Amino acid sequence: MKGLRKYLTPFAPDQSGATSVFYDMGGIIVICDAGGCTGNICGFDEPRWTSQKSAIFSAGLRDMDAIFGQDERLLKKLQYVSEQIKANFIALIGTPVPATIGTDLLGIERLAQKKSSIPVLSVSTTGMKNYDAGIQEAYLALFRKLAGKTANEDRVGVIGCVPLELGHLSWAGFIEKELKKTHKKVSIYGMGASFEEVCTAGNAQKNIVVSPSGIQSAKYLQKTFGTPYEVAFPGAERLVKAGPWQKPLIVHQQVLANSLRERIPTATVGSWFTMDKTYKKPEDVHFKEEDDFEQFVTSHDFDCIIADEAMRKIVRNYKGKWISLPHFAVSGKRDVL
Amino acid sequence: MKAVHYSVQQLSELGKEQIPEPLVYGSSFIYSSPATLVYNSPGAQGFGVKRAALSVPESIMLLVAPGCCSRNTSAIAEMPAYQDRYFYLMMNETDLVTSRHLKKISTAIREIVDSLETKPKVVMICITCVDALLATDMEAICKKAEEETGVLVRPVYMYALTREGHIPPMVYVRRSIYSMLQKQTRKADAMNILGFFSPLIESCELYTYLQKAGIRTIREISRCTNFEQYQEMSQANFNLVLDAQARYAAADLEKRCGIPYIECRRLYQVDKIHSQYQALAGVLGIEIDDSEQMEQTIRTILQFRDAHPDLCFAIGEAMNGDPFELAYALLRYGFKVSEIYSAPNKESYIYIDKISKISPHTQVYSNMEPTMLYYASHQSADVAIGQDACYYQQKAKQIPWNEDIQPFGYVGLQKLFAQLKGVCG
Repeated sequence: MKGLRKYLTPFAPDQSGATSVFYDMGGIIVICDAGGCTGNICGFDEPRWTSQKSAIFSAGLRDMDAIFGQDERLLKKLQYVSEQIKANFIALIGTPVPATIGTDLLGIERLAQKKSSIPVLSVSTTGMKNYDAGIQEAYLALFRKLAGKTANEDRVGVIGCVPLELGHLSWAGFIEKELKKTHKKVSIYGMGASFEEVCTAGNAQKNIVVSPSGIQSAKYLQKTFGTPYEVAFPGAERLVKAGPWQKPLIVHQQVLANSLRERIPTATVGSWFTMDKTYKKPEDVHFKEEDDFEQFVTSHDFDCIIADEAMRKIVRNYKGKWISLPHFAVSGKRDVL
Repeated sequence: MKAVHYSVQQLSELGKEQIPEPLVYGSSFIYSSPATLVYNSPGAQGFGVKRAALSVPESIMLLVAPGCCSRNTSAIAEMPAYQDRYFYLMMNETDLVTSRHLKKISTAIREIVDSLETKPKVVMICITCVDALLATDMEAICKKAEEETGVLVRPVYMYALTREGHIPPMVYVRRSIYSMLQKQTRKADAMNILGFFSPLIESCELYTYLQKAGIRTIREISRCTNFEQYQEMSQANFNLVLDAQARYAAADLEKRCGIPYIECRRLYQVDKIHSQYQALAGVLGIEIDDSEQMEQTIRTILQFRDAHPDLCFAIGEAMNGDPFELAYALLRYGFKVSEIYSAPNKESYIYIDKISKISPHTQVYSNMEPTMLYYASHQSADVAIGQDACYYQQKAKQIPWNEDIQPFGYVGLQKLFAQLKGVCG
């Protein structure tokens, strides 16, 4: 049935994706919700929350705020927090509450910007799309507002690398290690790159896009600063050992899955998330519902599935080999991080 | 930058009508401190709406909401008692405009029930802020779904928007879980304990006192192993409410099933535990002789105090108790309390005024105040009680005191001191 999940919990939502991009850049991140969405982001979708502080706050919206649209109250709270917390920027993140009452987040961004000496951004996420949509919008908002060029550097930018796109935090280290072989400096936007590195994103020699959620912003940086980009997941070969499989299915975010396929050319790539048609082979498949996944697996004779263990519940009768390739946005498994 | 805090003396001088704004929920943004995710993440730890609603035996839940509301449910769904009990009907933006998600509920229930080997007796439909704003009449929708599917269907509301409202979600869910009880003949020797979603400590003296007074059947929802046992709860002669959040449910049961209720509360002051038992005995017309348990508890406390006379505590709110009452109890036993991590409300002033007289410099922090971001972990206390206090006082000896099994009465207090002895020697 469309929209029904019997085995998988819903995937990380867009608001979690947006927050993960801003997480470690020293900003004030305001989730425009009643509290539950922030709890989900901090308590579940952001594995860095218990080890790395970030100024993430819930707007603490209440029924009367929603009914009367008390934007002034939100701005007053924002001003108080801005006075208390030293930050590089302010990011406003949408959730189902502002989406339902039709809050003009861009309007609030403009009002807040008039009162603030630091940049204010907004991402109109709704909590109803997958995490990758939020990552894409957050990168675009970030680079459009902040990115500039001051010099040419021997530096490579990495876009699309946040914990939700990975299965383990250490995977970002694999990417960095690979790129450091050829570049002096690696800026992973969303996992380690500083606010200053974001502001000088145009200085990079090239950008590497490691997930589909980074493609739009890479195109923007190319158009604005002429920075070329490549779509690949450096170090992917470390994640799965090649085996004797004739017909494997790899399910993950498209770029990572494609990079793995380079070592297993007979593989089919599947994803629950955005698949850019430029990088999609005709046999590749996009899953929307649990039923899609079940039917696809049962109607093909895959001898191996390389995917997050959470999906195994959908195809309990599958007899082939299952190789675990965790995807945090799917299972949210902290024990693998 | 420092985390905003106030001394108990300052709070007492300002009075309960002038609680400083940084300590008032809703006056500023909410910091979702790693110490207190239990507040903002109902699915993450403890009993939030999602877990609490499945206290009804043989029930399952269908969350009808945007994906973001259900996302963290896997944290509960993987616990053995909750496997194959959570299902999700995800809303999208079109549903928001057309409300078509509500029309799919019966079909979803049928598909879920058909897929399960063990058929559920009840389906709890959990809806969230979006349907609160859409003013969805979930009672009517559940009634219709019940007619169409032949399974009991009941709504639960995870409305974070109404958290400080007249009927907050955790109050409403307590009403929801008893809403399937039907009026039947009451039995004089039966009663229910309401308030918690898990049972009291097995050895709690309350059971013994009630049994000695002639009560043969004491029911708690968490001890009901099947739906039939749950339904027998409406045979109770009275309900004993141990958490004020269950008062609304008890009042509803009184109205619908004619079951009156009495209210007690969890306390850590030994003399107040005694007074409460005597008051309970008076109301029930029974005798409660608690002298032996009281003396034993006092001996336990004194022995520990003599071994550790200068012990200093930090007390959080993420634990089984009222942090201000526990702080006051420990101060009365002769210990020190350096910090309390909990925003006070007007009721807290019963203790704040008293604490200010014996420990005016005890500092009070609000876990959710934005400047808690700057709270630097330090050791001002020897022992931290509460999951949040343990987070803040990482070098102190730690007692999370947030187990599912509920401490109550003398046995609860003795268990606390047994744990203290365990960590302090």
